[in-house]
Amino acid sequence: MQPFLFSAKNRFFPKHQIPFRALGVLFFSLAVCLVLYLIAVKVITYFHSQNELGIILSLKIFQMAWITMFAMLVFSCMVSSVSTLFLSQDNEIIFAAPVAKSEIFFMRYITTSIYTSWMMIVFSLPIFAAYGTVFEAGILYWPLMLGTIISTAGIATTFGMGLTVVLVNLFPAKRTKDIILYLSICFGIFIYLIFRLMRPEDLVNPDKYGHFIDYLSSLATPAAPYIPAAWAANLLSYYLLDREIDLLVAALLIITPITLFFLGEWAMERWFLAGFTKSQESFGGYRKFFSRGRYRRSSMQWTFLKESKLFLRDSAEWSQLFMIAALVIVYLYNFKVLPVERSLFEEEYVTNLISFLNIGLTGFVVASLAARFVYPSIGAEGGSFYIIMSSPLSTARYILHKYLFYVIPFTLLALILLVVSNRLLNIEGPMWWISVITGLIITWTVLAMALGFGAIYADFKAENRAAALGGIGAILFLFTAISFEMAIIFLGGSPVFRVMRGWLRHGVLPADDLLTLIVWILVSIGISLFLALFFIRRGIRKLEASST
Amino acid sequence: MVVLMDELNNTQGKTLPVQSDTELVLVIEHLTKKFGNFTAVDNISLHVKRGEIYGFLGPNGAGKTTTIKMIAGLLQPDKGQISINNRSLAGEPRKCKQDTGYIPDRPYLFEKLTGFEFLEFIASLYNLAPETFSRNTEHYLKLFDLENWKHHLIESYSHGMRQKLIISSILMLEPPLIVVDEPMVGLDPKSARIVKELFKNHASRGTSIFLSTHSLEIASELCDRIGIILNGSLRASGNLKDLQREARLEHSDLEEIFLELTGAYELQDIIAALRAE
Repeated sequence: MQPFLFSAKNRFFPKHQIPFRALGVLFFSLAVCLVLYLIAVKVITYFHSQNELGIILSLKIFQMAWITMFAMLVFSCMVSSVSTLFLSQDNEIIFAAPVAKSEIFFMRYITTSIYTSWMMIVFSLPIFAAYGTVFEAGILYWPLMLGTIISTAGIATTFGMGLTVVLVNLFPAKRTKDIILYLSICFGIFIYLIFRLMRPEDLVNPDKYGHFIDYLSSLATPAAPYIPAAWAANLLSYYLLDREIDLLVAALLIITPITLFFLGEWAMERWFLAGFTKSQESFGGYRKFFSRGRYRRSSMQWTFLKESKLFLRDSAEWSQLFMIAALVIVYLYNFKVLPVERSLFEEEYVTNLISFLNIGLTGFVVASLAARFVYPSIGAEGGSFYIIMSSPLSTARYILHKYLFYVIPFTLLALILLVVSNRLLNIEGPMWWISVITGLIITWTVLAMALGFGAIYADFKAENRAAALGGIGAILFLFTAISFEMAIIFLGGSPVFRVMRGWLRHGVLPADDLLTLIVWILVSIGISLFLALFFIRRGIRKLEASST
Repeated sequence: MVVLMDELNNTQGKTLPVQSDTELVLVIEHLTKKFGNFTAVDNISLHVKRGEIYGFLGPNGAGKTTTIKMIAGLLQPDKGQISINNRSLAGEPRKCKQDTGYIPDRPYLFEKLTGFEFLEFIASLYNLAPETFSRNTEHYLKLFDLENWKHHLIESYSHGMRQKLIISSILMLEPPLIVVDEPMVGLDPKSARIVKELFKNHASRGTSIFLSTHSLEIASELCDRIGIILNGSLRASGNLKDLQREARLEHSDLEEIFLELTGAYELQDIIAALRAE
């Protein structure tokens, strides 16, 4: 445990310094918790105030939240325990030392539990606490809730770790990690689609009751009795409604994590060494690929090939495409179900306004995805970056190749989001062109900014691309990109409104309004070019000045 | 070994004419690099002639890797300048880098590319002609026993295989200057032998090689001239005879000269004390 404790101490409480980082994390988490708590209280109060159906529904959502939390914990624990148990860098030192396997299991259990469950616990606490507040559950609810959360998290992590020890015996460690990763991503998408496409908020809309009569009849049925998360949900629901504790369920929640822990320890004794041996034999890359055709001299072509191969051969990267697909479906679906016909204003005005604001929304999606994929792409070169820097390829050209590589998929994505949502909103005429042109200007600029910030704050030691997201550079990039988008949208508000008013009323484009629109577009292009070149240049200077 | 030597002698590619001693490929003048208050490289000046193997010798932390990184264009010097083939590295970095092949001590590579794809990528960065590429890759992959592994992902390669792949990727470029940091780290004896022979072979055909090492055996076997660096400064530079004169140890080997020049003679006291225990 010592390495974990010491490195955590050094990270959060550096010697002779005020622990700003620790305090920052603490305050940020508290602020997020508070916001979550307030939102949850508002939503549950709304459900609660409807009628008895609302109460049943809110408790059903309570159960779903527990089961979701439990499943996510099991998946994330399995992914990280493959790493902590089998692929950790300190494994060779620890396993070569005369330490019992049960001790190793205990050590890895504690660290994996902390890594995987702290966030889930911190963010689920305010939601479950909100139930206590709305149901006026009394003082005993709080320790009961805390104990139940810890117990459920304990069950999830011990179950996940035990299962991992067994699974790694059947598959090589890296393959197991991939399999669990796919499963957890599919599960995440499933939950996301269910929540968005079923629109649970409609269930308390009196107009819709008739359509959900079958669903409502199923609401009263209790959750699956064999899932530990359902025990926790039932125990707390029972207490919330009747102020009584089901002792059988409480006993199950106490005994199960302890039993599972000992089972995990036993599995470790029994199967660990075989699995660890296998994880070293299977070095993951024993796959044969065939070269495509002949070598060509173009460094741009090869940068494209390199980037796409590195992306497509890394399951942690390409599997994100599923998430993006789900995001696009839900994004466009929302336009389809938008109740514009119920608006107080003329439908055409509203759809055009939405189409205009959609430029910003698309820009926001582009900025988030650029933060995930484009921003870390320079740091992702890792230790191999010396190859680029010591070659005759200039840094500017290298950045240009990267830019051109990412500009194609991002342009396609922005076009899909803009054109399809315009189609769903029946947008034609000048608004269509305004949205597409401005959307593309924003997309191309945001990409350049992502690369610029990525170069300025390149972290060549980051373990993977996702890890770079938490850094200061990514946050600054997102902040700058969104400010830029808002500025463009804000500046365009008046000229676009005037042009559209003329077009919708009389079907003509007044010359002076058209001129202001063109001026706005030209100013937008000017700002975009300035920002793109400014950040790219700073990035190039930083890369050339820094050591690798 | 006979087959191996034939292979080595059959090394194809253009032969650079060996020119007069005055033709300098690498010239370093008053090179200085500081990290904060710490001076890693302190006013170093040296040169490497065409076809010469220059050994850069020094204890751990002496400033060898920092100097090499500056030559490879990976670090900007605080003072001084580097010229490669009569061009300033600061003024014409692309042309200088085109003429320089850098082999690092730690083989970081793109894990998700195959060995062959990596070679193609490097070749494209240096704009290598397709015919040179096919001729040289085939030759070096065979020489280093990487032929059967060329279509496997680099993540499955051992440390030595990665090192051999990097060495192949630079040798296939046939650059006039090769800069190598600790060339034999992680290589098995056969591969180490091949690398030494390849370096000699390339040097005999006009390639200049600047290599850093702390192995005295490699330095004395391979190098025409040796520079000894200590605490960032060039302590001595020249061939074995020059160094013997400098150290005032006329009939001594490189190890004794090295210990004398790097002030490590207190080591003798430590060894004596350890033996006396």
